[in-house]
Amino acid sequence: MREADLEAIIEDYLNDKLNTAEREAFEQLRKNDPIIDHKVVAHKVFLDAMAQYSTVVKLKEQLNYAHSQIDVDTLVEAYKPHPSKIVQLWRNNKAAIAVAASFLILAMISIYSIQNNSKQAGSFEAMSRDLAQLKRSQNNLIRNINSKNSSTNRTPVARYGGTGFAVSANGYIATNYHVISGADSVYVQNNKGVSYKVKAIYTDSQNDIAILKITDKSFNLPGLPYAIRRGLSGVGEAVFTLGFPKDDIVLGDGYVSSKTGIDGDTLAYQVAIPVNPGNSGGPLLDNNGNIVGIINGKENKTDGATFAVKSKYIMEALNAIPQDSLSRKVTYGKKSQLQGLKRNKQVERMQDYVFMIKVYN
Amino acid sequence: MNIKFNNQVPTDREVVLGILNNSEEALNKLYAAYFPMVLQFILNNSGDEDEAKDVYQETIIVLYNKVKEGSFELSSKLKTYIYSVSRRIWLKKLTQRNKKTSNIADFEEVLVVDDDVEQHEQKDLQFDKMQEALENLGEPCKTIIQDFYIHNLSMQDICEKFGYTNADNAKTQKYKCLQRLKKLFFNN
Repeated sequence: MREADLEAIIEDYLNDKLNTAEREAFEQLRKNDPIIDHKVVAHKVFLDAMAQYSTVVKLKEQLNYAHSQIDVDTLVEAYKPHPSKIVQLWRNNKAAIAVAASFLILAMISIYSIQNNSKQAGSFEAMSRDLAQLKRSQNNLIRNINSKNSSTNRTPVARYGGTGFAVSANGYIATNYHVISGADSVYVQNNKGVSYKVKAIYTDSQNDIAILKITDKSFNLPGLPYAIRRGLSGVGEAVFTLGFPKDDIVLGDGYVSSKTGIDGDTLAYQVAIPVNPGNSGGPLLDNNGNIVGIINGKENKTDGATFAVKSKYIMEALNAIPQDSLSRKVTYGKKSQLQGLKRNKQVERMQDYVFMIKVYN
Repeated sequence: MNIKFNNQVPTDREVVLGILNNSEEALNKLYAAYFPMVLQFILNNSGDEDEAKDVYQETIIVLYNKVKEGSFELSSKLKTYIYSVSRRIWLKKLTQRNKKTSNIADFEEVLVVDDDVEQHEQKDLQFDKMQEALENLGEPCKTIIQDFYIHNLSMQDICEKFGYTNADNAKTQKYKCLQRLKKLFFNN
């Protein structure tokens, strides 16, 4: 039998085109000859593949025809990604944006609740002697009316009071900005009752710090006994302040009660020292005589919750002043001469460097 | 994104019966009905309209084969099935191109159709093998084989078409062509 004839018979057999006698004869042949059997199997695989190929080719022709009936350009126009980058970004990253947004919302909620929880009921009250002075001037006025004496040669009475402290030997004094803001003229008075006129050299309303300079060029102090502390104070650390809530210097003693000021203000400490109007601008010192802050206010509803600007902002203020104009300025991060002294000795050494600020307007 | 398909959408039953009955009309309707959906998906996932056409046609072939085999069950909406198969095929192509497939913009619900797509890939491999074998076969063999196996011409028709002096010559020629094709197909 020729190969070509065999092939034809196999194909006819697979296509079921043999009559019964032929089929039986062929199946017998196939059974006895493994080579023929193999050829049958191989040809079946081939024919199946060809049939599938044929089906798909025809189907594709039909699909291409169907495709040609569609106005693809119009559809592309309608469905293509939105030209706007934002909309596209949104569509492509819906999931990611949603996750990010929920985190953001969660974060905002938690921050809000933390703030709410930590919000102090009271509000901040600057500790300059504003009200006290007003009252006093009113009293003066009444006395004037009653006595009917002329007051023409009366010296003007200071409207505000505060405290300041020397930051250099040649008359630079640090205090609170709120003490001197809006002033026409400012004087400082030392513990012995001598007044000097000062002018504001530097003000920083954000940190509530002002640097004043005594205008008298002959003014000079011996070297400063205290230093400015570099590090932060910890909660519970003992601190004290000197100030002029009245005309004589007053010592206030206490401890750092919180590392943040009102409403979590990180610029300030909260300290447990009872203060009164007039303490504003006073130095806050640790036991070793290092300045850790400036008293600048208290909470009006809680007794003993006083706030102090942190020392590093004093340093920032000093660095803003031309350095050659500061003679023997307060040292930063060095050992204080007050270290190891008893409190009464510390106050004694310091009191010549703490001033009452008097503001006229 | 509420653009109505301008063609009537055939019912799912209509489509299945149409495929079983080799109805060209049903196939055309089917094609027009869901192409916009697949186009939208591909366009919005870094493809173009030509790629959408290829993916969609492959999807229809998957559906067609499944219906013809009798293994297609209308357990879900045909629309969902077509969308899922197209999506699967497109994601595989994106992966092959090393494009990331993490941020896929979806427009429909998705079924798991991995098995169907994998089966299709096997068949597609066979298809490509056959196509390549035919391409390499050369003329006149390619046309003779295609006429006989695809266009179902008889040996008599082929004999006349190619001007063979008798049917035996035509048969011998076809036999030679077939032997070569089988060799190309199996040895590839």
